[in-house]
Amino acid sequence: METATLDGKAIALGDAYKHAAKILSGAAFPLVAGLGADVAGARAAILLAERLKGAFDHLASRETLADIDVKRSFGMFTTTANEARLRGDCVVLIGPGLTRAWPGMLERLALAEPPRRGAQAQQPRKVIWVGPEGDEANAVPGAKVIPASVQELSGVLAAWRARFGGRPVALGAEKVALIDGLVETLRNARFGVFVWSASTLDPLAIEMMQALVIELNATTRFTGVHIGGRSGASGVTQAAGWMTGFPPRTGFGRGYPEHDPWRFESSRLVDSGEADAALWISAFDGEKPSWSRADIPLITLAPAHTSPSRGLFIKVGQPGVTHDAVLMSQETGGMTLRKASAPTDAPSVAQAIGAIMAEVSEGAWR
Amino acid sequence: MALTVLRGGHIVDPATGQDAIGDVWFEDGRIVERPEGRSADHEIDVSGHIVMAGAIDIHSHIAGGNVNTARLLLPELHRAIRARLADTPLSTAKWSSYETGRLYAQMGFTTVVEPAMAPHHALQTHLEFNDVPIIDKGALTVLGNDDFLLGMLRDGEKDGAINDYVAQTVENTRSLGLKCINPGGVEAFKENMRAFGLDDVVPFYGLTSRQIFQALQKSTQAVGIAHPLHLHMNNLGLAGNIDTALATIDAAQGLPLHLAHVQFYAYGKEGKNGFSSAGALFAEKVNANPNVSVDVGQVMFSDTVTISSDVLKQFNSLPGAIPKKGAIFDGDANGGGIVPYAYKISNYYNAIQWAAGLELFLLIDNPEQVFFTTDHPNGGPFTTYPELFALLMSADLRAQHLARLPADVLEHTTLPSISREYTLYEIAQMSRSGAAKLFGFVDRGRLSPGAVADIAVYKPGRDVAGMFRRAALVFKDGALVVRDGQVSHYTRGKTLHIRPRYDQQITNRLDSYYDDLYGLPRSIFDVPDAALPHKDAFAEVPCRI
Ligand SMILES: [Zn+2]
Repeated sequence: METATLDGKAIALGDAYKHAAKILSGAAFPLVAGLGADVAGARAAILLAERLKGAFDHLASRETLADIDVKRSFGMFTTTANEARLRGDCVVLIGPGLTRAWPGMLERLALAEPPRRGAQAQQPRKVIWVGPEGDEANAVPGAKVIPASVQELSGVLAAWRARFGGRPVALGAEKVALIDGLVETLRNARFGVFVWSASTLDPLAIEMMQALVIELNATTRFTGVHIGGRSGASGVTQAAGWMTGFPPRTGFGRGYPEHDPWRFESSRLVDSGEADAALWISAFDGEKPSWSRADIPLITLAPAHTSPSRGLFIKVGQPGVTHDAVLMSQETGGMTLRKASAPTDAPSVAQAIGAIMAEVSEGAWR
Repeated sequence: MALTVLRGGHIVDPATGQDAIGDVWFEDGRIVERPEGRSADHEIDVSGHIVMAGAIDIHSHIAGGNVNTARLLLPELHRAIRARLADTPLSTAKWSSYETGRLYAQMGFTTVVEPAMAPHHALQTHLEFNDVPIIDKGALTVLGNDDFLLGMLRDGEKDGAINDYVAQTVENTRSLGLKCINPGGVEAFKENMRAFGLDDVVPFYGLTSRQIFQALQKSTQAVGIAHPLHLHMNNLGLAGNIDTALATIDAAQGLPLHLAHVQFYAYGKEGKNGFSSAGALFAEKVNANPNVSVDVGQVMFSDTVTISSDVLKQFNSLPGAIPKKGAIFDGDANGGGIVPYAYKISNYYNAIQWAAGLELFLLIDNPEQVFFTTDHPNGGPFTTYPELFALLMSADLRAQHLARLPADVLEHTTLPSISREYTLYEIAQMSRSGAAKLFGFVDRGRLSPGAVADIAVYKPGRDVAGMFRRAALVFKDGALVVRDGQVSHYTRGKTLHIRPRYDQQITNRLDSYYDDLYGLPRSIFDVPDAALPHKDAFAEVPCRI
């Protein structure tokens, strides 16, 4: 496998870095996208976007921003997976595909075991799963399953909220009784926890759920565990936060960061022609860009097996697999250093971008 | 590095007692004696200028997950408006780690302590520190709502094991010491308690706040951490909480104790609003208890955000949020609450807070016992320090402000009667020599030979705030980083930390505790060198013993 290719043909790595720098520094508004990277890679990529006066976006920004939108328009209650594990006496899983978004979820939340803190210690945990996918809820013995499609979830949560507040809902008596029973369970929880992944929820459902959390906290304790987006989304968002003040979908065209989820969305930037060159980073699994235009000068940083036939490709290692990497850990909710499980000498995203950056002089863009 | 002399400045250096015209020599990043028989490679005329050591901020929330949540929660609070200069990436990205370093440096600050690092989120704090250019950083590790400690206290374990746990945690999280935030109260909030005072009992542990902080206070001394236990007391922000503060000082048993952002505890219940300043009473108590130091947490009228690991208090603050939103994080142990707020000069309560803070500054006699924080950003951003210094140095300026406060405020504060004006020497005691002593720094906060060549040069003028906002020259480790109030390029500061000694037994015990409770290796929370983008990120500061 070649370490770098141009339109499918092998080129020397040093030439590849030079060529990448030339493409990016020659562009009027380059885009750093995908951003599937560890914290070091994100850091390098954001500094590069800043130096180039371009923009940066992450491939899972839609999900990340669904959570952030609720946070910044409304607020949010969260806890760690470990607190949920130790205290959660009522755990409400919302939506399909949670175990796909977080394969270790069932083990980490120890749903089959009782909580260990407070008066609820050693009492059986109540688990409710609203709208699971197929038979994924079978993995939690005793879970109460409430079938719902993704589209129905915000309506379901709205109905819970209405009944919690003692307001009528336009549903049959049997359904209302069911909801009332459920709401009673929530009300009686000592430390209740919603678990969700924005990859399958719309912002309205997240807002409904968080609104309910606030109301539940008037008399008891309730909070949430959110499952972060794919390809390092949570860690990248944190790094973007401290470096620029904003999450991805941020541009530097004016020489300072401006955040605009619509304007700096990568597919729109490429398809509209506003971005005239792109650096696509997808170091975890080589996920491809979602834009449709094929004529943009493109540099791809991805693992070996995903080499594209078009544009410049530079092989990078996989974070936490081929090299040590700082990642946001879903099991702790904090950053941690993952040691390489199968070390190779493939460059990390940070190293590859460092090599490109070295070819981009401040004078070229100033 | 070249031998440099700053010639003919007015040296204000309380650590050596200097307050006179003189020269400061430095070479290879350190202050040196005037060398015999050598002339300076660089001679800089600073006549007509004030020369001080770089300032030290002992309590400012500049890094970590809670600060970052605040950034993401409040994009409207920090829109950038200005492009950066060359060689200073992201330096105008408002509220970014980069801007933080630039703004501190421009004010002549060279060391800043982030006072609330959660043990389980230490790595992120250190990663953020790494991206704060120029200045040196340090953190305090938060304990006091963690099950391991509370469990040991409940089970009546020997002091030795508690000391080992404290020392191991400080070393492992790479900090400068311990902070304790509403001891037991945050755990109690998880058990649905909504108020928690000094002698309330933490459910299932049978411990009071008093017992928890006293234990940590003793351990801090026993393991030789120079900085006294840094305590965020119970009942923050509540009318009448002066009683809590006075009782806490009595509970300190004469041992060293630092009380954080005490303005937020200097409230009586007088007047028709049931809210008055108790700043004078508090100051009197501090004057009578030399074992206690305080930072003020001055309120400066501005739009800001409160960031605190006192989750119980922050939850209770949510209804008063401006704008109406907030984030509440029930973390392992403390967690955090982020609640935006706007302090207005026309608001009776805010005006009382402003006055109470100034009373504390002006009525505490020893400037090395009281520190100038705004509890950034809780009482206002650190960028308001220059205005704060100006207020301390001018009774006239205070009078102008007082005239703008709601009239009934003046009946419930002693501020109008206080004529004291801080001298530059006293400002330097508070921000340099005293701050260094508080952390046991022997080579900063001073201009004596051997000290780090962190030097701030100010051009005095009628505009005192302007003088402090834009230092004429700042040297960090001997390198010129600021000229005419402008950062010209970045240098990389260090993260300061201590390594108190302990019995390795505790490490094995903690490993099994994490394994049993979480089914996770404790090392998942470590701060290894390899996790940081740059080598030599850290510099060790010696312990007291
Ligand atoms: Zn604070």
